[in-house]
Amino acid sequence: MEREVIQSVGFRNIKKDGEITGFQFKVRLPYYRGIFLSQIRPGTLFIDGEKIEKENIIWNIKGEDYTLEEMKDDYTTQWDVTAPAVLKVKKAGGLAQGYHDLKYGFCFTSSYMPPIIQDHLDPDAESMVFMPEFGHHVNERRLLIV
Amino acid sequence: MYHYDRKGPKRGVALYSYSAEFGMTKTLEDCFEDLYDMGAHGIEILANTHIENYPYPTDAWVEKWFRLCDKYEIVPVEYGNWIDSHVLGHRDLTTHESAEMLKRDIRLAHRLGFTVMRTKMPVINDLLEPVKNWREIITEALPLAEELNMKMCPEIHTPSNLKGKLVTDFVEFIEKTGTKNFGLNIDFSVFRTGFSEGEWRDPLYTPNEPEDIIPLLPYIYCCHAKFINMSDDFRETTIPYPEIIKVMQEHGWDGYLLSEYEGADKYDYGYEVGQTLRKQHIMLKNLLGD
Repeated sequence: MEREVIQSVGFRNIKKDGEITGFQFKVRLPYYRGIFLSQIRPGTLFIDGEKIEKENIIWNIKGEDYTLEEMKDDYTTQWDVTAPAVLKVKKAGGLAQGYHDLKYGFCFTSSYMPPIIQDHLDPDAESMVFMPEFGHHVNERRLLIV
Repeated sequence: MYHYDRKGPKRGVALYSYSAEFGMTKTLEDCFEDLYDMGAHGIEILANTHIENYPYPTDAWVEKWFRLCDKYEIVPVEYGNWIDSHVLGHRDLTTHESAEMLKRDIRLAHRLGFTVMRTKMPVINDLLEPVKNWREIITEALPLAEELNMKMCPEIHTPSNLKGKLVTDFVEFIEKTGTKNFGLNIDFSVFRTGFSEGEWRDPLYTPNEPEDIIPLLPYIYCCHAKFINMSDDFRETTIPYPEIIKVMQEHGWDGYLLSEYEGADKYDYGYEVGQTLRKQHIMLKNLLGD
């Protein structure tokens, strides 16, 4: 696993029945403990500046696909710190060969942090105070599609 | 299963310390080997971090766990768990749901050979007060803890004080119920007296004297041997370790001191927390005479 949150391995177009239907990339959890899916606060993806809303991104954890709605109530499935999640985006024709700029925001809640901090978590903006063991909310990386 | 028979305070490591390296440059086995190098025989894991596919590890993973404990002469000491009552954004878990989550951890801790849990309570405000129904949650889980010989221990950490309300409430609960299955984990940050110039200090914090731990010793089932700064001649410059260890030895306390390094510099590129832990273990080994 790479130290960067957005992993270089796993970035590719998704093919279904010989047709490219979208693309995927992987993120690792930049926290010191695994979290249940209901703790994840997914945010917005920008791919080469194009905005993709959180509702249009599927999270794949341990081989299972989850929509935003499905994750909200799931507090038994854990996202492990050692296993990056695969994020899937529908896009007919996928991404073109060459470099792409990815910018993605997500964060997560913690029951032992004061609720006032929890209520104002914004996946698309950094916290007021950066704490390395919670990682950055917004991560960027420039990666190649072959 | 490996047994370590030494009496009194013993050396162990909280794998939390490896947070910045675990899963990237260190595997679980690497952490075990590092402990073995140090001659530490106790381990604390964080359930949600170090157990693959938590809360439902495979039998194969559990076998691997015991194989590692045997190979590296490690005793499973403390299982770090969270009562995650705020796990859903739109409502809190009920007392029963929270207790079920806790009981699931008690069973898993037992399956992995642990006898003590660092049970983190969900908080309700920025004074970090636990949820109002913590007594009810713990009470619902107590019969199972008793059956499986498990001790649930909230951690007492700076800015909390050993004479403060949080500790008093916990002790009152222990005395009222007479339970042997709920106790305390004292984090040595409560004894910190040294701060560098200009360093932020929590206004709520008052350091405890080493003697303040004495009345609590019967309820303490393990400690976090927190350290902030180890000098190159192997002294902790901010926490009075020799005095704390002496008090604990003189009062016959028997249990593990689990090293926990919380410094943010462990996230710096190239930082090896194992070397920082080894510095502290040189000090602890000398103080304990093991």
